[in-house]
Amino acid sequence: MQQHSFDVIVVGGGGAGLRAAIAAASADDSLQVAMLSKVYPMRSHTVAAEGGAAAVTRDDDSYAAHFEDTVAGGDWLAEQGVVDYFVRHAHAELVQMERWGCPWSRRPDGHVQVRRFGGMKTERTWFAADKTGFHMLHTLYQTSLKYPNIQRFDEYFVLDLITDESGIGGVIALQISTGELHVLYANAVIMATGGAGRVFRFNTNGGIVTGDGMAIAYRHGVALRDMEFVQYHPTGLPGSGILITEASRGEGGVLLNKDHYRYLQDYDLGPETPLGEPKNKYMELGPRDKLSQAFWHEQQQGRTGKHGESDVVYLDLRHLGAEFLHERLPFICELAKAYVNVDPVKEPIPIRPAVHYTMGGIMTDSQCETSIGGLYAVGECASVGLHGANRLGSNSLSELLVFGRLAGEKAARRARAFANKQHHNLLQARSKAILATWEDKIAGLMDTSTRDPKSRSWAELKQALVTTMETGCGIYRQESALQETLETIRALKADYQDVRIEDQSGVYNTDLLHCIELEFSLDVAEAICLAALERRESRGAHQRLEPELTQRNDREFLKHSLVSWENERAVLRWQDVDTSLSAPGERAYGDQRKTRQADNGGAA
Amino acid sequence: MNVQTRAIEVTRYSPERDKEPYLQRYDVPFDESTSILDALNYIKEHIDATLSYRWSCRMAICGSCGVMVNGIPKLGCKDFLRLYDHTPETPIRIEPLAHFSVERDLIVNMDEFLTHLEAVKPYIIGDNVDTASLPAEASLQSPAQLSRYQQFANCINCGLCYAACPQFGLNPEFVGPGAIALAHRYNLDSRDHGKTERMPLLNSKNGVWSCTFVGFCSDVCPKGVDPAAAVNQGKVDSAKSMLIQLFKGSQLQGEHQ
Amino acid sequence: MSYKTSLSGSWWRKHRFFKLYMLREATVLPLAFLLCSLLAGVFSLQDAERFAQWQSFMGNPLIVAVHLIALLASLYHAFTFFQLFPRVMPIRLGDKTLPAQWLVAAQWLAVVVIIAIVLWVVSGGEP
Ligand SMILES: Cc1cc2nc3c(=O)[nH]c(=O)nc-3n(C[C@H](O)[C@H](O)[C@H](O)COP(=O)(O)OP(=O)(O)OC[C@H]3O[C@@H](n4cnc5c(N)ncnc54)[C@H](O)[C@@H]3O)c2cc1C
Ligand code: SF4
Ligand code: FES
Repeated sequence: MQQHSFDVIVVGGGGAGLRAAIAAASADDSLQVAMLSKVYPMRSHTVAAEGGAAAVTRDDDSYAAHFEDTVAGGDWLAEQGVVDYFVRHAHAELVQMERWGCPWSRRPDGHVQVRRFGGMKTERTWFAADKTGFHMLHTLYQTSLKYPNIQRFDEYFVLDLITDESGIGGVIALQISTGELHVLYANAVIMATGGAGRVFRFNTNGGIVTGDGMAIAYRHGVALRDMEFVQYHPTGLPGSGILITEASRGEGGVLLNKDHYRYLQDYDLGPETPLGEPKNKYMELGPRDKLSQAFWHEQQQGRTGKHGESDVVYLDLRHLGAEFLHERLPFICELAKAYVNVDPVKEPIPIRPAVHYTMGGIMTDSQCETSIGGLYAVGECASVGLHGANRLGSNSLSELLVFGRLAGEKAARRARAFANKQHHNLLQARSKAILATWEDKIAGLMDTSTRDPKSRSWAELKQALVTTMETGCGIYRQESALQETLETIRALKADYQDVRIEDQSGVYNTDLLHCIELEFSLDVAEAICLAALERRESRGAHQRLEPELTQRNDREFLKHSLVSWENERAVLRWQDVDTSLSAPGERAYGDQRKTRQADNGGAA
Repeated sequence: MNVQTRAIEVTRYSPERDKEPYLQRYDVPFDESTSILDALNYIKEHIDATLSYRWSCRMAICGSCGVMVNGIPKLGCKDFLRLYDHTPETPIRIEPLAHFSVERDLIVNMDEFLTHLEAVKPYIIGDNVDTASLPAEASLQSPAQLSRYQQFANCINCGLCYAACPQFGLNPEFVGPGAIALAHRYNLDSRDHGKTERMPLLNSKNGVWSCTFVGFCSDVCPKGVDPAAAVNQGKVDSAKSMLIQLFKGSQLQGEHQ
Repeated sequence: MSYKTSLSGSWWRKHRFFKLYMLREATVLPLAFLLCSLLAGVFSLQDAERFAQWQSFMGNPLIVAVHLIALLASLYHAFTFFQLFPRVMPIRLGDKTLPAQWLVAAQWLAVVVIIAIVLWVVSGGEP
């Protein structure tokens, strides 16, 4: 066992973690910052983001407009003070990225170009071709090398937190290359561990996106907020779930069913916009949840096509022409060719919805701090309250920067205030106890002599988990299926107690890591399912099928769900929403918007 | 049901148990879309949980999953079983990336590449880089200026080019294709003023001049970065910078006399 | 402990790409040989007798064959060199980089022009 002392610890090397580490390190160069990640930073799933990052940029745009789009897009479940802070700071952060070298796409006059994105009234999405997340992540990683006071612990798997009455004290991590356990002390810890899309079978996420950080904080009593809101992206490739960016629709791509019909006009998103003239908030540029739901209805009516075993609709880009596609959407062309053997210049791409983003996460206040003093959370693992019931595409990359910086600065301030390292000595006893628990646990997993012959492997349990999540917690949900899924998850948790692993090695024991990740995923899945069961209304990404629950019900459910781990079980509570700046209105897209606005005297 | 299978053999190595790596054979089901990575995942989840390898994005962008497939460096997630002939006697062979130290099974020591990458100062150097005093404006950069370096900014740090480079195989101190491409990317960026800081390493014995333009690095690069071009454009830069040094040096001496 | 691999002396025989690379590098030798022969001829010009000797030596069919092979090898080397050149020194005009094929074509054009000029000079400057 090795021990280390730092001022600030960042768990996670994705966009949020890197931005936070840089902010903490540059706030005060005497602070020692540790950054732990279970993969090398540039492998983090931020790398896969394609579309872009939003900020008010054009003269005809305004903070109020970005605020409205975000709040309405989130079906009034966003924390409005947080949204307000966000829209005001996003632009400065994207400029900072520009100064650090991010290769944003440009207009002929050299200014940064902005593109259209679903659910946004105006063009405000900055992009770097169709590899925005990749370029942002590499720019941040490379820039972080400038700071000698950031010490990276690459391929360290964080298992647990060390806490006491005064708050956070550090983390316990497993060095993947040796199997050795490390104790790292710090008076400020930032969780930036990303989402949990891998608890679903069909998703756009990387294999590492297993909800670890959420589960770790949850087990220490921090509530997970709004977990029932899971965003389906309407355009994933069949089979793999690989994402075809929304920007392909922003640039003019259209969705067709098997009869070559632009079916979105039948779902309150019309009228049909002419080919090559995409219009914000109409048709293909409606919000993701509506588009995914439209797919479900088409599927029910038998109007979807087949690709392999998947039901699919088609994304048609052919009218955009080869040159345009290769310049604006080169990665999409590459992905379609490699993974479904389709050249988008010549054929429509088969697509279907896939789980994409977890709106909920570790509950924090507007300053990214959790209920444990000195423990911060930021990025997709956190719920600072920006996205409400549905995230707008391109808001989350900006979120990583705006709140990554905020969390980093807050953590630095806390670290300075609690500069005495005495605390670390006081924590010795606690860390020893936690360490011992993990040593026992790992030894237990490896002890195949006690294996029950009927026990299943983590791989089998994982398969059962992702399947039940897809059936019970999919695009549309209902009581009985949710109940059944919740029971299945609980049964899987019981079965997990009997799991043993084959691999006895200390070196790169990925058998062990996947097994631990599954335990984290089970906790997160239970929280998602419980919150989805209890939210008996339809809002944003959470849609119930029961006829009496298909509408939003502000009287009872204009509330955040909070799931906490108490006395060895998941408990649900409700929390009021900050709607101080804009009263809940109707969430409408397409021409519906105009009619509704007229009805309400333009108040929507 | 009639499921087709393919024979593959995979390098196994456990530092705690084995003196040297050996090959283990597996038969995996496949269809038109099965990637090498899918095959490894199948083995891990259904046949042998002790096989270790890296992966994450499964969409050729995170750079984790580099392996040798029949002796050629490839991204496991972007290479497909359908592309290989096989017979029971000649299975598809999957090995760890060449020229790196093998830590375990298909996992190599990536730090052997990343320390070089971090040494070339791959970030914008100059004034007005940190906009602590916000609000600032974005600098201007024309599409033409962007296109000068864009290709070299597409590197995903997968290390395939290092596994393809015999010079790196012979001399692990060689800064190598990926890292030099990144240095070149910043040298070409209109916003950067750090070239003079980067050149000493590129001029050195282990810098650009270690390269003999074998060019295989560019052939295997999954992202069209053409690192060989970057290294050899770097030679032109290096020659210029060394001439300037020489000139300046003699001028300085002249001043002293 | 990690396992260190090392490169065997025969690394280049493992792959076609490396064999072609070795061929490219090896063809520098015939090119150098050709240049030496030519230089020998140029030096022998100082003395009529030596030039005649050189000429008759060069007339030997075996020597002609050797030089033909060397010429082919040199052409191959030039071919590889011309292919690589645009990647080492890309030429930009305004916003666009000139297509590599243009540069390759330009280099061969230059070769043809130079040969034409040399032939013209050698043949006594008559059109
Ligand atoms: C395909 C795709 C496309 C997207 N496109 C867009 C887009 O166009 N615009 C937009 O705004 N958003 C987009 N998003 C969403 C956005 O990219 C993500 O929400 C965001 O990148 C998450 O960043 P993060 O830093 O929070 O987490 P990640 O980038 O996922 O990083 C998580 C980090 O935590 C580490 N970690 C996790 N668990 C542990 C552990 N136990 N121990 C140690 N380290 C751990 C990981 O190693 C990793 O470094 C997209 C998402 C996907 C999947
Ligand atoms: S240059 Fe190409 S092969 Fe080399 S590390 Fe970068 S992406 Fe990989
Ligand atoms: S798994 Fe990310 S590049 Fe292959």
